[in-house]
Amino acid sequence: MPPRLNVLTLPRSIPYRPKPRAQWSVPSVTRRLPSQSRLYSDQKDSPPSNADRSKRTDAQPLPSISEEAKATAEARNEDGPRTEQGTPVEEIVKGDKAAQEKLPKVMQDALKAKSSGNTPKGSRSYSTTTTPTTTGGLDMGLVDFGFAPKAPEVPGVKFGLPTLPIPKDAHVKHRYDAVVDQVTNLLMEHGRKSVAQRNMSLILQHLRTSPIPTINPSRPLIPGAPPPSHLPLNPILYLTLAIDSVAPLMRIRSQKGAAGGGMALQIPVPLGQRQRRRTAVQWILGAASKRRNMGSGKGGFAQRIAQELIAVVEGRSGVWDRRNGVHKMGVAARANIVLPRKR
Amino acid sequence: MSSSRCLRRISQLSLDRAGPSSIAPRCLLTLPQSSTFSTSAARNANPQGKKGSAAPPKRGTRTLNVKKGRKDAGKDAGKKPGPGERKAMRKRIVLSNNNALEVSGLKDLEKENALDGSTEGQMVGIHEDAVDVLRAVEAFKPSQGWSLFRRPATLMRKETTQLAQLLKQVEESEQSTTIRRVLVGEKLNGKSTLLLQGLMMASLREWTVISFPEAQELVNAHTEYAPLPGSNPTQYTQDAYTANLLSQFIKANNKLLLSSPLTTTPSLPHPLPPKPTVKQLADLGVANPEASWPVFTALWTELTQPGRPPILLALDGLSHIMQNSAYMSASTTPIHAHDLTLVRHFIDHLSGAKPLPNGGAVLAATCGSNSPTCEALDFSLQVAEARQGTPDKVPLWNQYKDVDARVMECMKDVEILRIRGLSKDEARVVMEYYAASGMLRARVDDGFVGEKWTLAGMGNIGELEKASVRLRVGAMGYR
Repeated sequence: MPPRLNVLTLPRSIPYRPKPRAQWSVPSVTRRLPSQSRLYSDQKDSPPSNADRSKRTDAQPLPSISEEAKATAEARNEDGPRTEQGTPVEEIVKGDKAAQEKLPKVMQDALKAKSSGNTPKGSRSYSTTTTPTTTGGLDMGLVDFGFAPKAPEVPGVKFGLPTLPIPKDAHVKHRYDAVVDQVTNLLMEHGRKSVAQRNMSLILQHLRTSPIPTINPSRPLIPGAPPPSHLPLNPILYLTLAIDSVAPLMRIRSQKGAAGGGMALQIPVPLGQRQRRRTAVQWILGAASKRRNMGSGKGGFAQRIAQELIAVVEGRSGVWDRRNGVHKMGVAARANIVLPRKR
Repeated sequence: MSSSRCLRRISQLSLDRAGPSSIAPRCLLTLPQSSTFSTSAARNANPQGKKGSAAPPKRGTRTLNVKKGRKDAGKDAGKKPGPGERKAMRKRIVLSNNNALEVSGLKDLEKENALDGSTEGQMVGIHEDAVDVLRAVEAFKPSQGWSLFRRPATLMRKETTQLAQLLKQVEESEQSTTIRRVLVGEKLNGKSTLLLQGLMMASLREWTVISFPEAQELVNAHTEYAPLPGSNPTQYTQDAYTANLLSQFIKANNKLLLSSPLTTTPSLPHPLPPKPTVKQLADLGVANPEASWPVFTALWTELTQPGRPPILLALDGLSHIMQNSAYMSASTTPIHAHDLTLVRHFIDHLSGAKPLPNGGAVLAATCGSNSPTCEALDFSLQVAEARQGTPDKVPLWNQYKDVDARVMECMKDVEILRIRGLSKDEARVVMEYYAASGMLRARVDDGFVGEKWTLAGMGNIGELEKASVRLRVGAMGYR
């Protein structure tokens, strides 16, 4: 085959910033973990005959009692039974042409059938077991990952222990990015998750094909954000950045009757990360639904959300004012916070 | 105004009370016969005062709506786009993404290596001229992922090489050879893309290219139709569609062919300029849609003269033209698609009833997502596949079922080209291209390729694209 594309060199240099991000980090998209795929068990050297077509050890007929006893004794390092006595005649005459000719006709026929590889008469013409189709059949892409079967280091563990710590996205329920998961769920209407997932995919696609955003200096993104030229190539980062940048730090709780005179007391309450993101996404969705729908078909809402996200990063969105309003109110009401008294 | 005319006016007014109002102020007779002390006539004329306009309030304005359960009514108050804007948006073809990285070492497919199979298993770029041709014949579909990459590129997969060999066979044989194939395969397996690749290779080899990009548009009665005079049984022409097809023909075919003079003298309802060229003939059909069908037949006669290049006829969405169309005849019975002249023309060449005198290929692709059920077609394709694979096990039609005999007849001896999933090597090449374009942020190794290949239903390329570059999580198989 001719040489493939060269993927190791990038045509555009990408500035790399080794400085660790103090406040905000995005988990890596990829994970490197040796896959613990279960391989089919090794093949035996060669099956004794075609009579038994099963390749599975448990489905194969047992050897004669004396042979089994001999094998057990060998494994235990003991003296086993002498297999010369009580051994079937066929095995004794095996490879001895002269002796074979003197056998009764029934046994000679059986020997012939065995050597020509025919199925014995008594067996079924169909199989009652499934046969693994590793050779010549369908290749399901599960077997040839290229991992050599390793000898277990720990006794009792067939495929070795997993490398620790187990990555966060190795869990089946947390395999996708946390923000993508949360936004997908917030996009969902009437429990139609598949539609929400499609919309999520379209949003990320729109972010990826839109031009590089210009950051408004009066609406700074969160500190540690990568340069805007990196964003379209990493749409998940783009999405996370837009949401985290407008996420409010607190909400205002109105405590009835606390201010006196029928007024509600405004108390700022801090929000956790997931709550902050949820608020921001809901603001963005609200703003997006008020946008003008340009096209028709399935992708309209996704496109408006993507446009709103770009507007957030570029500082044009009204969501910023909303967040600033909440923060302003929070600052004004900070005197209402009742902290536990110091002893 | 002369006095005689004035008198005539007055005499007319006496006959017709509701005369024209333009002369009303000039004639005393036309004044309303009402008392000056009464206001009832003026009131009756406009009982509601100025408020009487019955038009609903403008969109987006706030109105008092006291019905219950209307809380969310004002949620999506975005203004609606103008006429035609939505469809333009939906059908827009974007072939470039400026954010994607340029893939170094991506070579264009050239005229020399288009058919020789040396690029098998590689990604090749589509040359700019070929891109123009493919755009003109609408070979790029909006649902395909062209908008994600820097410039259009395509994988020369195994089936592409098979198709290239067939085209090569046409070029190299002394006698005229007509290749007739139906491209079949599972949904999202790249049938339309293979058709695109066939069009690309043919246009690079300077073949004449005529393509019906969506068979549905031929039969869904969105364009006008008229019976063809003198046809028995009655056939129907589609003038607007044919004129559009001719304009696509002009854009898609090379200048050399278009500027060559006509060798035949067609008799057309409109006069041709002296010493006409092929392009002038086609232009005549574009300018006069009512004459587009005679022009198309004249053009076809011209293209099949000896010495002209081979022809590639392509159609996407075969099953749409294998049933009744949405058009109605004068006796309000549905018209079978094969009675439409353009469809008839394609079917005659696909079935082999009319060979291409200069050689060429007739390709039809089935569609996995938008195809009406056509049992006769499905059966014919099964038979064709069985004939190629296991000739002793050809299926038989259930005698108790109705059969569309015209479909069975035209698909009698057509051959198929089945498109299967990518091999793992091909999948790896594609994914390396994705990664090199910056659209896939992962290290492409055996484990990753195997995982995505398996998730994509054993190398279904559309699913592979969805799972890797489109960041589509979960719910594989749904759009």
